[in-house]
Amino acid sequence: MPRKPKTSGHPRGGFVRTTVEVEGRSETRIVEIPAFEPALWGDDAPLGIVGTRAARMDADEKVTGRARYTADISRPGMLHAVVIRSPIARGTIRSFDASRAKEMPGVYGVLGPGDAPPATRLFAREVFYAGQPIAAACASSERAAWRAAQAIAVVYDAAPFAASFDEAVAPSAPKVRSSGNTPPESPLVIARGDVDAGLAAADVVIQREYRTPVALHTALEPHGAVAEWEGDRLTVWESTQGIFRVRDNVARALAVPHSKVRVIMDYMGGGFGAKNGAGAHTYVAALFARRTGRAVRCLNDREAEQSDSGNRPSTTQRVTLGATKDGTLTAIRLIADIPLGISGWEGGPAQFYHDMYACPNVRSEEVFAYVNTSGMQAFRAPGYVEGAFGLESAMNVLATQLKIDAVALRKKNFARRDPRKDRPYSGNKLLECYEQGAARFGWSARNPTRTPSPSSRLRRGRGVAAQVWPTGGGPPAYALVRLNPDASIDVLAGTQDLGTGSRTVLAQLAAEALGARLEHVRAIIGDTQSLPYTGNSWGSMTTASLGPAVRMAAEDARRQLFEAAAPILDTTPDTLEARDSRIVVRDTDRTMTFAEVTKQLGDVMIMGKGSRGPNPADMAIMTFGAQFAEVEVDVGTGIVRVLRIVAAHDAGRIVNPTLAESQLEGGILQGLGYALFEERVLDLRLGRPLNTGMHDYKIPTMADAPEIDAFFVDSADPAANHTGARGIAEPPIIPTAPAIAAAVADAIGAEVTEIPLTPWRVLAALEKKE
Amino acid sequence: MRLSVNGRPHDINVAIAATLLEVLRDELELTGTKLVCDRGECGACTVLLDGDLVYACLTLAEACDGTSVTTVEGLASPGGGQALAPLQRAFIAHDAAQCGFCTPGQLVAAHALLARNPHPDDEEIRTAMSGNLCRCGTYPKIMNAIRATAAGEFAQGSSDAA
Repeated sequence: MPRKPKTSGHPRGGFVRTTVEVEGRSETRIVEIPAFEPALWGDDAPLGIVGTRAARMDADEKVTGRARYTADISRPGMLHAVVIRSPIARGTIRSFDASRAKEMPGVYGVLGPGDAPPATRLFAREVFYAGQPIAAACASSERAAWRAAQAIAVVYDAAPFAASFDEAVAPSAPKVRSSGNTPPESPLVIARGDVDAGLAAADVVIQREYRTPVALHTALEPHGAVAEWEGDRLTVWESTQGIFRVRDNVARALAVPHSKVRVIMDYMGGGFGAKNGAGAHTYVAALFARRTGRAVRCLNDREAEQSDSGNRPSTTQRVTLGATKDGTLTAIRLIADIPLGISGWEGGPAQFYHDMYACPNVRSEEVFAYVNTSGMQAFRAPGYVEGAFGLESAMNVLATQLKIDAVALRKKNFARRDPRKDRPYSGNKLLECYEQGAARFGWSARNPTRTPSPSSRLRRGRGVAAQVWPTGGGPPAYALVRLNPDASIDVLAGTQDLGTGSRTVLAQLAAEALGARLEHVRAIIGDTQSLPYTGNSWGSMTTASLGPAVRMAAEDARRQLFEAAAPILDTTPDTLEARDSRIVVRDTDRTMTFAEVTKQLGDVMIMGKGSRGPNPADMAIMTFGAQFAEVEVDVGTGIVRVLRIVAAHDAGRIVNPTLAESQLEGGILQGLGYALFEERVLDLRLGRPLNTGMHDYKIPTMADAPEIDAFFVDSADPAANHTGARGIAEPPIIPTAPAIAAAVADAIGAEVTEIPLTPWRVLAALEKKE
Repeated sequence: MRLSVNGRPHDINVAIAATLLEVLRDELELTGTKLVCDRGECGACTVLLDGDLVYACLTLAEACDGTSVTTVEGLASPGGGQALAPLQRAFIAHDAAQCGFCTPGQLVAAHALLARNPHPDDEEIRTAMSGNLCRCGTYPKIMNAIRATAAGEFAQGSSDAA
């Protein structure tokens, strides 16, 4: 079989040990080297489908209400389960009496302390935070299940708790978890160069303390699952960013072989990082389904969704910057406090400080603490969003202090190589982002109309911030491309579409590589039983991870198609080309459609296989961007209105500009909410969140949306992978808040160092200034 | 009680405390209308009740006897055909749905706006739509889709070019 390797680098075929990066964390894995690797689609590649604004392929289902989400799945005889949660933040369950609940009409069972397999970590007697699942009830309807829940008598012995960072690290602090109050990695120190020497060499040193809030994902579709057993086989419908990870979680927790667990996810109402695995709802549904022999649905209600389904942890960041008069950074120092909640990983703000600028001396010390509140989860660009608010705000202060333009200061400290790991970038057009963004914003035209009229209380200001985020994706990821007897084409891959448009992007890549018309191609995703493995849709990596595998599978299918068509066209495969679902003998007028070939093949299948090879060694694969904000502040009320945002990002090749712009707009609007409104408020005396609804926890509405001009410096990445694409989903949320905060400072002549920039914080800053 | 939904009459027995949303989703299996906040904060369950916008999660089913309800499933040609309404085609062309979970409510709210004010200005669109939350951030695209529909770009028979 003639398979010509078209690029050098790794030897073809076999397996290799390689490093895979997810959201800045590295892990070593053994991965397959694809048997062939297509040549890079560079900027000069003649592409007709990739790069076009094709309509979202599932838009029809979404505008008609036909799209079925996990919450819409209904099975014959389905029962409903609800999770009962602790009202106290720390203590133990003294007694648990569900006898009355179990006898209520329509009730099928209760799971309480000790009733769940230990691997699920559910329903322990010890309580670690308010909102912790302590029991579950199952009934013929959700209302009946709630009635049963209310009939359960639980007596708690409350114990002292620590709900804030300061309380958790105090010498007399109660034990937050049995293992202690800090993770073993804390304090986490990362350093390069010599920060003290860098500060000694500085002409200017600035110090600031910034605070960021606990932010809630607030996906509209709650976490939820429907579980159904057939004999010893379990099917789970789950609203998730990772069907295979849910399969893995469920198989381990319930001690069932992986092969007997099937996870399905067709449509999903948002994830943003909080839906990366199975949860209490999944195990509860599966356990009751096994016990009752019926399908069981378990969905979070809104209060559970807002109080115990993940959050972005708060930070306190003490930042010191040193620079010479010309703006060259000589030192960056960060000391940060991060309360994680009861569990979580160390996705703190520090990495952004190490990644963003070419400063030789950088040191970060992050102190993480467990506190008796619901645990954190990844939330769109975890850590980098918080870090960018600290570092980019400090950079804007430095620019003011040095009387250097804030864009010029950033260009001065542009990193030509990845400064954290001292390695080249696969591609980097951040300078173009600064330049094109500034031009479209009109940044250099100083003298904005700060005060519309002398008597007005309205002040206008402008600000800028930049962004970096690792987006290389990587193996393992697999795809099949199938040419059906009717000449329609299926892309089969076990991925998920969170609303990002991955169905459409994958179909575009396959159509391009196969030479098919886009309307003949569809992507079949979201089923662990029938589709090849693909990882979680996290880390902005679905296009960069799976895209190359899909392209390879499509090229493999095209090769087979040519081999099948060559004898029919009385030629050899190497003389054939394909476009618009039609095969052409090069330099002749001999041609036949895919349908004419498949008609002759009958049920003989053409099935291409593709896999994702490793990333280039020792290269940083990152997405960059710069955002510019203009705001209007009412100095009488402290209310901030964002008037416009200009966003320029570099994510390599853009497969579908419309869908990618939607990602930018979505990230910017979430960043706007983070900057202005969003903050989980905790009652520190009870350890309970106070704003668990969507009114009290305010996310942006259409009335808050500014004019957004979001665009790409669109150019194929020359080294990341052969599609030239990197990731884009998370990056646009990173620089929005510091750009808005800088614009507010510019407008009122005072800096607000804590977000969200609520009216009272703005008024307090104004008062302090006077 | 009798309820007409998307032009089809139904005789149904409803539980005392059942909401219109429960009847639509659970009894009639019209799952396009979504449950999100369950207390009138997000707009995902927006439907038309005798032509007026209501939150189905806050509407008691019993109080709807004899009324006529329109859900997202009823926006496409009311005669029961397959043709999408201009607003739906505009949402597709302008990529006004990301995850799509809020989309049914957004469409019904936008439909009601255009029914009472066929040529809203941007401020009127923002005000009318600010009761429908979207976490993916499709607001700019929804705005474009409503503007284009109001401008007649998606009127039946016109091209879908946007």
